[in-house]
Amino acid sequence: MTGQAPTLRGGFARRVGLSVIVLCALSLLAVRHLGLDYALGQLVFIFTYAIAGLGVVLIVGQSGQISLGQGALIALGAYVQTLLVLRGVPVPVALVLAIAVGCAGGWIASLPARRLGGLYFAMSTLAFALIVEEVLVRWESMTRGAAGLLVPDASIGPWLLNATLSQALVSGLVFLIALGCCRRWVASRHGRAWRAVRDDEVAAAACGVDVARCKAQAFVIGGGLSGLAGGLYAHWIGFISPEQFGLFLSFELLMLAFIGGARHLAGAFWGALVIVAIPQANALLRDLLPAELARAAGVEAIMFGAVIVAVILFRPQGIAGGKA
Amino acid sequence: MLRRMITFMQVLVSGFATGCIYGLVALSFVLIYKATETVSFMQGELLMVGAFAVLALNVGAGWPLWLAALCGVAGMVVLGAVLERSVLRRAIGQPHLTAVLLTFGLGMMMRGSVTTVPAASHSMHRLPFPFAGETLTVGPVPVAAEHVAVIVATVLLAAALTLFFRHTRAGLALRACSENPRIASLMGVSVSRMHTLAWALGAGLAACAGLMLAPVTFVHLNMGLIALKAFPAAVLGGMTSLPGALIAGIFLGIAEAIAGLMLPEGVKDIVPYALLMIALLLFPSGIGAAFARGGARLAR
Repeated sequence: MTGQAPTLRGGFARRVGLSVIVLCALSLLAVRHLGLDYALGQLVFIFTYAIAGLGVVLIVGQSGQISLGQGALIALGAYVQTLLVLRGVPVPVALVLAIAVGCAGGWIASLPARRLGGLYFAMSTLAFALIVEEVLVRWESMTRGAAGLLVPDASIGPWLLNATLSQALVSGLVFLIALGCCRRWVASRHGRAWRAVRDDEVAAAACGVDVARCKAQAFVIGGGLSGLAGGLYAHWIGFISPEQFGLFLSFELLMLAFIGGARHLAGAFWGALVIVAIPQANALLRDLLPAELARAAGVEAIMFGAVIVAVILFRPQGIAGGKA
Repeated sequence: MLRRMITFMQVLVSGFATGCIYGLVALSFVLIYKATETVSFMQGELLMVGAFAVLALNVGAGWPLWLAALCGVAGMVVLGAVLERSVLRRAIGQPHLTAVLLTFGLGMMMRGSVTTVPAASHSMHRLPFPFAGETLTVGPVPVAAEHVAVIVATVLLAAALTLFFRHTRAGLALRACSENPRIASLMGVSVSRMHTLAWALGAGLAACAGLMLAPVTFVHLNMGLIALKAFPAAVLGGMTSLPGALIAGIFLGIAEAIAGLMLPEGVKDIVPYALLMIALLLFPSGIGAAFARGGARLAR
């Protein structure tokens, strides 16, 4: 029932040791096959995805809500960040505002939860996401529509973050801060309330938990994390357009949380690792497979699908989760 | 004035036809949801694969169209049953999100598999229906033959389904199982077989919808996106009512067509979702319950 406690006790040292070994092996492999700079670039995306993944873990894994619209919250963050930076606002200030808009978006997306439950609410988040995407496409005077926007490099004061190493450091640092905050929230009475709502709404309400407020809280924090990830992502990728933040991104994030283990904060990192690694694995595979098959575009989609199906069938608690 | 009326009627007919397809996909979704409590996010992919299967048999293997259509749909029925037996069965009793992700993953695999065939992914294809491109005149209104065909086919399919659900053992058993699986199993219905049947029917219906969509939008990789409009239809219809899903689909199709005529460009695409949000917020259980009550009367 509790998210963190059992794993902390159950062979914590062994888990950490295993993680370190896996990470070392993976980074060696990545540096050897992809080159240091490229591998660092991938690390940047792992951290950025992991930040957004933390939001999904809070919403889905901790408070038990289904959100099919996470991509739209990231889009809000990315667009706010880009539009503000293009108008001369310093990057850190813009990032704070991107987080704020993400929070606001999360709050709006969670409003239907006051009246709807379960699947109906899931559909309303889907509707929210599609409406946001359509607005981004149509509000051309502001967002330049489907043509997209170029994003300037991030800079903090005099430092320009255009090298992958500095980007990796910044996103890693931001991820660690976000992870620290999330740990505190999850361990606090808010986290307890979330888990109570997840496990049994009626019982939680009977114990004096304000269920509606609790759900909204999870969405506000999850939305803020998405806005943060979106703001960073916009800088790292350098170009944003509405189609990048469509339904596929929302599902990619859900997959991320599920693959990593939706009930554990660490799951966000492991899931991000897998999600970012799949296209790379596909590129490696391309050298091994016969040319006829390898050139085809669909192999990556098949791999994504196969990974998520396999995880759900064989390890439903995700990588970070034990055999519950 | 008359010309505007005619345009309006044409838009109405085309909206009705599109709505029929939304409705059929929503119907397949609700059929599966009701019987197995599984939310299927791959109806669009099933639709697309069904259309491609018919295309492959017809154009690729050179079979006559009617035979290709029959075998294509039959093949999808088998695919649905096989997927249920092998994979989807595991999602029963899990939270909704598990089923959503599982079916989404399977959908990605299907989509990826079709993408790997270069001939399929590089261009749009057309199924050589005999009526393609012709227009009929109903009174003073010229309408596209494809749209009429879609409407007629939907009516026939709905009639066939009604007969199946009311007058065959399997149909009655499936309904019983959807109402209350425990009591159905006490009455000697094999619930797990009914789950397989529901998925087979759901996949077959999606393939039929794909076949009907083919003359309207061509056969291409993204034709499954139409399923995104079918979800609002299924929800508006109350998630558990088959006639409700069909009616809500037609309603959304018409609403969308009229919005395309009256409102600025681009608004059309979000109309189903806007309507869905409004309906959900105004009647959190009301509209579903109202539809379900009406639907139960229709089904009886």
